[in-house]
Amino acid sequence: MPERNIEFGKFGARGIRGHEAVARQLDALAGFVTTPVTQRRGLLARLHYLTRSGHARQAARAAGLTVTDRTLKAWLDGRRGPSRKNLELIEKTYRIVRRHNVARYLLARLNREGRGTRVEFHPLNQSQVDRPHHRAVAYRSLNVRHWDRIIEAWAADDATALDDAWITDAVVDLGSEWGQYEYVTTIGFAA
Amino acid sequence: MTDFGAIDALLAGAAKEVPLPSAEERRTLREELNLSRPRLAEVLGVSPSTVAGWESGRDPSGEVREKYAYFLAGARTKLAAETAETAELAEPAEPLTAHIDPATPTAPADPTAPGTTEDPDDVGHLAAPEPCVLCGQPAHHQVAGFPQHLDPAECETAVPRETAEPTAPAAPTPARREPEPSRVDRPARPGRPPRGVPVVPAGRRLKTTDTPDLIGSAVAAALAEHSGDVEAATKALVKRAIPDAMALLDHSRKGGRYDVIAHPWLPDVLRKQSARGADQIWEARPKWARPELPPGEHEVTALDVNGAYLSALKTHLPLGQLEHSTGDHHDRRRAGVHLITPPEWEHDAYLPNPIGSRDEPGPLWVTEPTLRLLLRVSGPAYGLCDPPEIHESWTSGATEGLLEKFRVALKDARDRAIAEDDEVTLDYVKAMYAKFVSTLGESNYNRELYRADWMHLIRAQAFANLWWKAHRAYDQGLMVVRAMGTDEFHVVGDWRAVFDEGRGVTEVKVKDVYSVGAPHPAD
Repeated sequence: MPERNIEFGKFGARGIRGHEAVARQLDALAGFVTTPVTQRRGLLARLHYLTRSGHARQAARAAGLTVTDRTLKAWLDGRRGPSRKNLELIEKTYRIVRRHNVARYLLARLNREGRGTRVEFHPLNQSQVDRPHHRAVAYRSLNVRHWDRIIEAWAADDATALDDAWITDAVVDLGSEWGQYEYVTTIGFAA
Repeated sequence: MTDFGAIDALLAGAAKEVPLPSAEERRTLREELNLSRPRLAEVLGVSPSTVAGWESGRDPSGEVREKYAYFLAGARTKLAAETAETAELAEPAEPLTAHIDPATPTAPADPTAPGTTEDPDDVGHLAAPEPCVLCGQPAHHQVAGFPQHLDPAECETAVPRETAEPTAPAAPTPARREPEPSRVDRPARPGRPPRGVPVVPAGRRLKTTDTPDLIGSAVAAALAEHSGDVEAATKALVKRAIPDAMALLDHSRKGGRYDVIAHPWLPDVLRKQSARGADQIWEARPKWARPELPPGEHEVTALDVNGAYLSALKTHLPLGQLEHSTGDHHDRRRAGVHLITPPEWEHDAYLPNPIGSRDEPGPLWVTEPTLRLLLRVSGPAYGLCDPPEIHESWTSGATEGLLEKFRVALKDARDRAIAEDDEVTLDYVKAMYAKFVSTLGESNYNRELYRADWMHLIRAQAFANLWWKAHRAYDQGLMVVRAMGTDEFHVVGDWRAVFDEGRGVTEVKVKDVYSVGAPHPAD
């Protein structure tokens, strides 16, 4: 796609990729446990979420938490603590499982039976760009009706697929200057 | 060389002053007619506080005294006629004509006042029959301009009035409460004139506005759904107040110049530090009590500002993303949050600090209304303190009109609900604006709008408005004793001369009256 930026930030513009902003907003809407996994409270909250039922254990295993039930029990009882590597693994698994569980409901709320959700594009930050290189990039908003691919890619934590889905399903609808919104400050929407 | 003609003219001119009724009666007469002080003052060409002075004992003089006497006499005549009507309603066996005689003994009209014209034309014959204001059937006579039946037998006022709302045809009658018998002493307004049709210019012509009455229709639908059960309908309406307020906001921005930006990037000062924590903004909520009172016993009145958050919706709101700037400079076209060092406040003994009760010294983040309040009181007009020092700001281009249509729609619905004694609409409107303000920020109950900056600004505006009320009381010679919360301040003195009492947003209501201090020891 020719509108894609090749050397973003060459003249001092600042921003993040649109799909990263979308993932952030979706994460905020999904609502994770806020206490960090390094604290006992945060660790227990995550482990309880992952071992709540047989189905949850299965999902955790499928998402990559390949430890024995004996180890899990020891972690939960506090007889042993996970190593740093395992802490990272728990965190990663927890996010994947949580996203997967929330995705169904988030999707229904975002599609709103075909009515879609209004999305705000807050343009990139040009405050560090020299005056001659400034471009008029305005705030835009858009109604996005099809969220299926976006949510699917987000739940799978697949950045490439999310980028692709975001550009083709949403950003392109902004019109021929959509390339100006490949990088943004934030993307805002409610669910 | 004495000019006797001039002396004669002087003597003729210096007639005895027109007598006026007592101060309490003046006030009662105006209030019985549901006239506000500013309205009367405007007509008489004086300031509202002057009228307040007349109603608390002072006497006008000169030409304006005659005008005032004319008004009072006219008011008395009108009230006498209306009392006669209500009396006629209460005892329909008596003939009406006996009561509408302007020379009724209940209101001895002042013969010297120029307003007492002996007009028997109060009762008039109508060429074409018009609907009676009491029963709605065609009537051939009018009394004081209101068409009605003279013979109570013709008039079917005995059946309860079923005045269907034009905008809310589905509203069952229980919502409209009949006036309680205890309020009969107040003259019932004889029939509300039908609400006008709102029109807008369209090209070279006029057309009716196609603005649906969202609030009215929601109330009507809820009442219909709960088959007139007021409590159930109110509960259902309050429950859906947040989405309804957002729908009303969207509707009010139709064709507006600016978009409501709901999810902007916010600087760290506006972000909560933790899930339950607060951000760094100081809203300047007043929590002030006068340190000491003069000796003696004082009667303190706790006054309450009506709809404080509703009025505070009119404030300078930043439109887009907040931008950072440094330096001691304030741009009046922008609004946001500012890091300031507040000035010293030396008037704590009799006026609250505009910055609220701040315990720690040093710079703090305040919002636009607080900064504007500080700049104004430090300006030449007031000179109460030094100007605040601004260190840095997060601002954006601002407008005061962003929520204006939204606010006016809510205020109109509120006023109408008060006038019609419609508790359902009143509760609904209250829930709408209160919940709108409280969920404007990062609330999970309203995810449509994430404007923590607006939430702080609107609250701070309510507190600034309260500060100005306290200042006005102080300025008019009352003793301000407390200012606290969002909408409460306590005063000592004749506050009725300063504030109007009532339920409107510009009026105040009495929360409590208590006395403080020991009475003087008897000699």
